[in-house]
Amino acid sequence: MPTLWAASFRHLLRHPAQLALALVGLSLGVATIIAVDIATASSRRAFELSMEAVNGAATHQIIGGPQGIDERLYADLRTRDLQVGQLQPAFAPIVEGYVTVGDRTMQLVGVDPLASPELGAGRERHGALPVGIPHAGEAVEADGAQVADAGAHDRGRDGGQKARVEALRKWFTERGAVVMAARTAEQLGITVDRKFDVDVGGVRHPAVLIAQITNAGAAYDALILTDIAQAQEWLGSVGRLSQIDVRVPDGRAGEAVLARLRERLPPDVQLHEAQGRTRESLDMTGAFTTNLKAMSLLALLVSTLLIYGAISFAVVQRRRIIGILRALGATRYEVLLIVLTEAAALGVVGAALGLLLGLAIGRELLTLVSRTINDLYFVVAVNDTTLPVSSVVKALLGGLGTALAAALLPALEVAGSAPQLGLRRSVLEARAINIARRLITVSAILAASAGIVVLVSGRNLLAGFVALFMLLLSVAAITPAVLRGLARVAARVAGRVSPVARLAFGDIAASLSRTGVAVAALGMAVAAMIGVSIMVESFRESLRDWLSQTMRADIYVTAPGPGADRPERRIEPDVMRALLATPGVAAHSESRQVIVESPGGPVPLSALKLTAAGYSGLQWVAGDAAYAWPEFERGAVLISEPLAWRLQLKNGEQLKLSTASGVQGFRIAGIYREYGNDRGNVLMSLAQYRRLWHDEEITGMGVYLAPGAQPAPVIAALRAAARGRQALFIRSNADLRALSMSIFERTFVITRVLYWLAAGVAAVGLISALLAWELERSRELAIVRSLGLTPVGSAVLIAAQTAFMGLVALLAAIPAGLLTAIVLTDVINRRAFGWQIDLHLTSAQFTNALLLSVTAALVAGLYPAWRTATASIAGDIREE
Amino acid sequence: MALAVTAGAAQGAGPMPDSGVLDGGMRTQGFAQVLAPREFEFSRDHGPHPDFRQEWWYVTGNLDAATGERFGFELTFFRFALAPESERARRDESRWRTRQIYMAHFAITDVSRKRFRFSQKLSRAAAGLAGAQTPPLRVWIDDWSLGTVPAADDAHWSLRAAQSGYELTVDATALLAPVLNGDKGLSRKSSEPGSASYYYSIPRVAVRGRLVRDGQPLDVQGLAWVDREWGSGTLSKSEQGWDWFALQLKDGSTLMFYALRTRDGGRDPNSAGTWVSASGQSTALSNDDVQIDVEDYWTNPRGERYPSRWHLRVPKAGIDVGVRPVLPDQELTTLTRYWEGAVDVTEAGGNPNRGGRGYVELVGYAAQ
Repeated sequence: MPTLWAASFRHLLRHPAQLALALVGLSLGVATIIAVDIATASSRRAFELSMEAVNGAATHQIIGGPQGIDERLYADLRTRDLQVGQLQPAFAPIVEGYVTVGDRTMQLVGVDPLASPELGAGRERHGALPVGIPHAGEAVEADGAQVADAGAHDRGRDGGQKARVEALRKWFTERGAVVMAARTAEQLGITVDRKFDVDVGGVRHPAVLIAQITNAGAAYDALILTDIAQAQEWLGSVGRLSQIDVRVPDGRAGEAVLARLRERLPPDVQLHEAQGRTRESLDMTGAFTTNLKAMSLLALLVSTLLIYGAISFAVVQRRRIIGILRALGATRYEVLLIVLTEAAALGVVGAALGLLLGLAIGRELLTLVSRTINDLYFVVAVNDTTLPVSSVVKALLGGLGTALAAALLPALEVAGSAPQLGLRRSVLEARAINIARRLITVSAILAASAGIVVLVSGRNLLAGFVALFMLLLSVAAITPAVLRGLARVAARVAGRVSPVARLAFGDIAASLSRTGVAVAALGMAVAAMIGVSIMVESFRESLRDWLSQTMRADIYVTAPGPGADRPERRIEPDVMRALLATPGVAAHSESRQVIVESPGGPVPLSALKLTAAGYSGLQWVAGDAAYAWPEFERGAVLISEPLAWRLQLKNGEQLKLSTASGVQGFRIAGIYREYGNDRGNVLMSLAQYRRLWHDEEITGMGVYLAPGAQPAPVIAALRAAARGRQALFIRSNADLRALSMSIFERTFVITRVLYWLAAGVAAVGLISALLAWELERSRELAIVRSLGLTPVGSAVLIAAQTAFMGLVALLAAIPAGLLTAIVLTDVINRRAFGWQIDLHLTSAQFTNALLLSVTAALVAGLYPAWRTATASIAGDIREE
Repeated sequence: MALAVTAGAAQGAGPMPDSGVLDGGMRTQGFAQVLAPREFEFSRDHGPHPDFRQEWWYVTGNLDAATGERFGFELTFFRFALAPESERARRDESRWRTRQIYMAHFAITDVSRKRFRFSQKLSRAAAGLAGAQTPPLRVWIDDWSLGTVPAADDAHWSLRAAQSGYELTVDATALLAPVLNGDKGLSRKSSEPGSASYYYSIPRVAVRGRLVRDGQPLDVQGLAWVDREWGSGTLSKSEQGWDWFALQLKDGSTLMFYALRTRDGGRDPNSAGTWVSASGQSTALSNDDVQIDVEDYWTNPRGERYPSRWHLRVPKAGIDVGVRPVLPDQELTTLTRYWEGAVDVTEAGGNPNRGGRGYVELVGYAAQ
């Protein structure tokens, strides 16, 4: 037994390069998974924490239309007895919106520190508010002893008392008083009592930091707390509340209270579970994170194949010694054990390395992910990285499992062979050819299954990914057979020219057990790469088309700020008048962008007042302009393709929306294309919106120039008109289009990073496999060289072999990549976001793939080529 | 008296400015000051006086239920200005902007169940959440309120408050006209100028109504005491707190006396009170007119000692009584900690008509 282990150990030590490359492949695969986990979990956690900080201990929330709730409802709820006995729910008002401090976007949260201390419990615990108030208590005298004093909870009002009193006075009496996390204040360079500016939709307001939150972790990183009065004034929502937090008892008693509360509420507000809002917001990013995870899974899948390759080689190289050991009496079980133990050790070390690497990559990826989330979904500041325990477990098990699964076949194979057969490689190659033939059938079955899964799974996104992976595996399965066939053809054709060439290509076909797997892994990675780049390119072109069709105005003016649909984004009315009076402005369109409630959740709504030119801007998926626009002016709505997909609505059906006077149905007069917003959009005439929601604000406008007027001077004049009153976002049509495209590119940076990671794993695998193979063949090559092949000739031979394998991988990958692209655009994107993308092919998409596959293959041949050209023939001919 | 919050026991905390939680760091400048007696006018003066820094509406009473059970109640509304109202409202100003904060305490002493339960509310006086107005008189925070019954005269009020387990709704009818304490309503708290308040009481108020205990309604009636006080000053630095007695005797007379305690354990000479005879004749009492001997103590769970039984003598009014709490623990551990509880009055000097009931307030014994 010690002999066995010693043999195993020494073999690994004698092939450090091979060992290292196998480890790198596995670590990269694991690292990608970990990195994606870190990035998604951290941004999710940051968002949940800040939602908790905003929501406090509320069980429910009362929310209203785009402009929030009439504040009088709150006073009414507090002062009128709900007739629920002692179960009176606790209420607290919230006014919130997005503001900018310096270059940083923050969520402004206006609270009333005196309202329902039990609701703001979290806030007080963190010292976020200047009051911590005991509000009830009881003394019961029983058997002469003092018991329970519920009001006596933490009253540590000692040293900090004076500061708290002062903070409370400042909170209520100083204009612009705010509180924020100490860490955030430090990052912004703000100290207590320092004045600074808060920018709300381009209007600057003076603020002063009166206190800092010190021990609250990451929850408050992106929050500014202020008094509710201040928040109303800054956000331009005097008289309105964003929401009313509600806390009711648990269980049946709570249900009864909720029922009474619902009766009391006017029709323009709804009562929701507090958790629901957080969930809805997180659901928006669901498709996005699923895509990321799928990409990371792809990397691990590629690395599985590579580990398989590496371990097969390690086993194959030792067939002779294993055969001898078996002849000397080692049992099958012992051989199996030793190979699996090696694999397990490789797996654990690889997973551990992957974990460390993943932590490093994860931090970088997090920046990309949170930026995308901020661009597309909601504002989140991620300062802390979260590594879920489950991810660590997943990484370790994944690494170990991958290594073991990859080793199992070769281990069984070598352990199962008879001792003397173990000495003969030809048996193995014969078996490999057999397997390759059978894999053709497997490949066909996988491809057919992928098709069936797509057909039967309806709207299921996960099934789409399953089909995608089946498709890629099908490519991997057929590659060895293709490689063998092509190599044999090449050998025959090239053999007519040179016997050495026949030797070179024939060898590839003959060593299928080593070459097949490496080329399959590379082929799969390249296919994925081609697929993804076609998808991105098609998406880019569809978006470009759409933008040029949709954007009709010459200049666009919007109130700046994050969150496209935030009500605080509004153009000040007097600024609006000044803009319209600017020379060169011939006509203008107006829009109000808000979020409205519907039974299917919150829905973005754009209320439009269009000019004649604006009507031609939409591309119709269902319906047509001649019918839809007159209906639109009569009160019907138009919905975008993603919304129709998400809410499963058809042209002519009703869309229900919560208006200021309750839920109302709107007829859908057309469905149009949209790539701007994966949650979809509703278009409604501005007149109708104003009538039903009582909201007179304007979010943005499109300016049409008078004949002969140039955009640049008019933009300068518009900026001058707004100067000093509101910092508006004013862009020419071309600039805005370019900006939209750059946001698009930003969101696909992550995709790119991930597919390069997967490709990197494949390249490393190929290099490792070919290196091992070529080194192993050094003796055969030495014989050919002794028969007259020059050093240069042998180097060329190796380069030709590897380049050929790279080309075969590419060849297999091209049709597979096209299919992948179709699945990505028509299945994955459709199911995730609801939009249809026109497939767009360019040669550039294949160039990368060609570069990757051939470069990887050539690099893999470099060292063996150099070595074979310089090594002494005698040394190589001598047996190991 | 009920200076509970502003003066709230300066114990260990140094000078008065540190003691009050809501006293805005004791910035008294900019507020109206209590320097000379004023002309009281009702019902106007039942309403708020926002130019002064603090003010309260204060009702305590002893109740009997139809079941024979006995209860004490306290319902107090406090108003505090964090700063003088100087700025004029701007255009587009939020209705939530205010410098006035209201606080209310509601306590029930459930004698038969030996239970004392209290609750506190705090609110800004804005957006309709809390405030005080007159006429008609209405003082409220959320659904707790005190006010004139609609279409009744200003001697007829209604009170409502609810907390876990107890919901009180009563009508209150003043049996006497308001009694001005101190010098025509100017009540001195120390020798420092401005350390005074305008202070009047309605010592006998008949109450009748309903107390819902743990969901079970009980008809209750009894006698309550109304105190109204406002000003901008505080106690002096040498004062520690006070013991306030409001006793309603069987013969129809009432006694109010506040003993201001100094830090060295003595009594400040500004301690004072008012004796109102059964016929409604009021007599001012000075520090020397009243003799108080503490006969027992009660120690709270934190080890702080309150006096818990007294022998009280007012020779000038022929009063010689014992005063003892109906329950020893009637301490409110609210924003400011103080003891405010129902008491029994027993005749010690031989006149059976001088027994009765009342309320006692003890401030400055508990560390804040």
